[in-house]
Amino acid sequence: MPENKSDVLQGTLDLMVLKTLESMGSLHGYGIARRIEQVSGDSLCLNQGTIYPALLRLEQRAWVNSEWGISETGRRAKFYALTRTGRKQIEQETENWERIAATMARFLAPSN
Amino acid sequence: MGWIRVLFNRCATLFRKKKLDADLDDELSAHLDLAVLENLQRGMSQREARTAALRAFGGVTQTRETDRVQRGFPLIEQFGRDLRFAIRQLIKSPGFTMVALLTLALGVGANTAVFSLINGLLLRPLPVPHAEQLAMLRYEDGGADPINWAFCTPFFRSLENRHDVFSEVFAYNGDTLQVRDQAGNENVPGMLVSGQFFQALQTPPLRGRYLTPMDDQKGGSPAGLAVVISEDFWNNWFNRAPDVVGRKIVIANTPFTIVGVMPKRFIGADVTQRPEIYAPLSADPIIDAPRNHIDAGITAWWITVGARLKPGVTMEQANAELLTVSNPILHEAADDPSFIAEKERGHFHFVADPGSRGFAYVRFLFREPLLAMFAMCAGILLLACLNLASLLTARGAARERELATRLAMGATRHRLVQQLLTESLLIGVMGSATGVAAAPLVSRALAALLTGSNSEFQLDTSLDLRVFAFTTLIAIVSVLLIGLVPALQATAGNLNDHIKEGQHPKPARHRRGVLVKVLLASEVALALTLVVGAGLLATSLERLFHSGIGFDPNGLVNIKFMMDKQALTGDALMVVYRQLDEELAHQPGVSAISFEYIVPLSHRGWNANYSVAGNGKFLINMNAVAPAYFATMRMPLLQGRDFSWNDTNASGLKIILNQSAAELFFPGQNAVGRQVVNPRKMSYEVVAVVADSKYRDLRAPALPIGFVPILQDEEAKPSLTAVVRTEGPHGSLATAARALAARLAPSIPAPVTTEMDDVMKKSVSAERMMALLSLFFAGCALLVTAIGLYGTLAYATARRTSEIGIRMALGARRTGVVVMVFRENVLVAAVGAGAGMIAALLASRALASFLYETSPRDTSVLAGSVAALAIIASAASILPALRAARIDPMRALRNE
Repeated sequence: MPENKSDVLQGTLDLMVLKTLESMGSLHGYGIARRIEQVSGDSLCLNQGTIYPALLRLEQRAWVNSEWGISETGRRAKFYALTRTGRKQIEQETENWERIAATMARFLAPSN
Repeated sequence: MGWIRVLFNRCATLFRKKKLDADLDDELSAHLDLAVLENLQRGMSQREARTAALRAFGGVTQTRETDRVQRGFPLIEQFGRDLRFAIRQLIKSPGFTMVALLTLALGVGANTAVFSLINGLLLRPLPVPHAEQLAMLRYEDGGADPINWAFCTPFFRSLENRHDVFSEVFAYNGDTLQVRDQAGNENVPGMLVSGQFFQALQTPPLRGRYLTPMDDQKGGSPAGLAVVISEDFWNNWFNRAPDVVGRKIVIANTPFTIVGVMPKRFIGADVTQRPEIYAPLSADPIIDAPRNHIDAGITAWWITVGARLKPGVTMEQANAELLTVSNPILHEAADDPSFIAEKERGHFHFVADPGSRGFAYVRFLFREPLLAMFAMCAGILLLACLNLASLLTARGAARERELATRLAMGATRHRLVQQLLTESLLIGVMGSATGVAAAPLVSRALAALLTGSNSEFQLDTSLDLRVFAFTTLIAIVSVLLIGLVPALQATAGNLNDHIKEGQHPKPARHRRGVLVKVLLASEVALALTLVVGAGLLATSLERLFHSGIGFDPNGLVNIKFMMDKQALTGDALMVVYRQLDEELAHQPGVSAISFEYIVPLSHRGWNANYSVAGNGKFLINMNAVAPAYFATMRMPLLQGRDFSWNDTNASGLKIILNQSAAELFFPGQNAVGRQVVNPRKMSYEVVAVVADSKYRDLRAPALPIGFVPILQDEEAKPSLTAVVRTEGPHGSLATAARALAARLAPSIPAPVTTEMDDVMKKSVSAERMMALLSLFFAGCALLVTAIGLYGTLAYATARRTSEIGIRMALGARRTGVVVMVFRENVLVAAVGAGAGMIAALLASRALASFLYETSPRDTSVLAGSVAALAIIASAASILPALRAARIDPMRALRNE
């Protein structure tokens, strides 16, 4: 696994998960993965499995918490929800991301 | 903050691994189930739905593994596995494990024990607030004695009244107080302290108040004489009575009021004393009666002086200030112009030294011996490390194939080194822990050895943070020494070679073989150095004990009677002594008895100038003795007659000289019948000449001594010591002496009984401790070296089993095999011994100051040490060689 690439991806994925939970409320892992796929359309090829390490990471930082519940189809599943610190964190992460995106945009802009 | 929460989360997972694994599996299968369900709803077949779900998920196993890594501490789990593996490895070879643990425990334990002695005596600050502001004062006067710590009262009182740089100046003197209890008087360790003593040491009393300048004046404060007692004394004498403050105790027949109790942690300013009663300095004429150190003025140098710096004042400023006040104080305090002139010639001035550790006279005596022992301990630890490193390297060589296989299967070198280090870490931690656990016991035993059995000085050798830090440091260094070299060695080199040669190493010239040999040779060298040191110290001690003491100490018992606080004087007191003499002579096992004023070799002395007409004035050592003294001591009377009970003041003054003194006064002439004159112009007739004997110090040669009869002693209430020659057991002598004293002199404290043997041992306690400890270390060093030589050779030989089998199959004879294997160690031992001899010759120079009548290059010691080492090394090497010779060629070859 090339580590430097996954580092960038990691931060992005974390923010995606947080934003998903912000807009959708409590959701299980599969639901989060599907939602990210739907939002990104075809532009992102996501291994659904990779969201679990991301969720663990967020839970360790106490940005999300989890709880076993019953899914819409009656299957027992683990549901994740944003915590108050997580909600605050979104703001900061968004800012970070926008700064990086803006910087990248400046680099990629055709020089004239 | 965030990382703490993450850390906590991760730690929590360490303990619920199974539950978390199950949870994760549940969650992942829920994910797949949900995905399959959705795919089915989209119209896929069961099989297609499952495949698509798995494809979209990616690797289930990878996810699980990533999760495990992320949730806990993989390194800790790995360490746990290494640890379990290491424990299994150590259990598999119990012999090696025992040797490793014991040698390391010895090394670490010895170091910790000696370090805690050094810590207690030399390093630990006084347990008082702001100890760093304390200073100890001394003076320089250009005299021969470079260290002048003892002050006289006038100097101190002048210093005490100045407050330019010091907030307080205090003085104290450790003393034995006679305290009355129901049965009679008892000796209690105490301290006379000046008025600012407690203020300077800033420790609040447990009860009541402490002594102040008001108490430190003649007759005490207006409320009378006051003392402060220690918590221990409060426990033992008053059973912690809450109303102890205000009660009276009788010290030296005078009532004192207890005004306070000091807490246990307070020990004054001398770390080697544990005073139970603190009395005002001004009460000295009462407490030390009939002596009076205060009226004696500038002739009594008896107190130690300390001070507390004013906040913000540095030691340099204090010394500058002291320099300017020294001369005014000299003129203010002394009234003898010749004394002042002599001191001024020597540029008399006071000096302040950092006093955070207080003062202890024994520091001057034991500092060097303790440091020498510390060096020996470091040697034994290094030896233990070298030994373990060589054994582990040899063992690593035997495990070469296992390690090579693991390298081949993809283990990184880093990972293997880590695992091998875990093994040494385990040995290191367990060995060190054993050593530390034993250390307090050892240091107590050493302190007892140093101070003698009935000691007047105490040493707190308890383990504190500094000792633990030190022990941790040496344990870490040891583990690295032990572990790193073998681990790097075992994992180095070409993989293919290892796998090919795992079982058939190249017989010689192998890099690893060389390393082991270097380690072993260093070990041999170090062992030889320790053995030589021990040999020199032991020889010196032996000579010290058997070189012209001049009397026979075996079976000699001293019984000290303290007569200075009872009522009888002069002839009336002599009657009591005579009664004691007669009664003691009839005790079972007693063959002779006499009395003496100075106990020889006790480091106490008395000297006086005697002159003889036409041959000048000589300073000789003095003693007052009773009749039959020389017979009791077994000192040959060379000429003349012994004293008798008829040698009273009326019969004319008599003196007996020893040979040195007789030669001094009357060179080449007959001394008996001649006269010598003391400074007060009293003339003594020499009635006999006795053989020389040692006086104050076992280490010093015999000195000129004059003996006067106790019946003619000038002192009114001499406290004499009975010297009793015993044959066979005399267990009841101390009891009998106590009973006799209670009957004949009821007001004196119980007489103290000591064996002359103990007095001698105590007088050379530092030498004795060094000799005993170094002998013990030398024995251990020899044993450890033997184990090292044996162990490594045994490992090496085991790996050559098939080679030796082939040699024998091809016709090598058994004696040839023995020689071949034995030879391996001969070179190592020879090189080590050579290096060790050089090291020993260099190191023994440092011991020269502790050696008595023994050259640091004493040939018999050097030869004996080499012989001892040769025998041990040969014994250790012949066993593997003999075992190699018993190899059955057929079986060895079949094992191929």
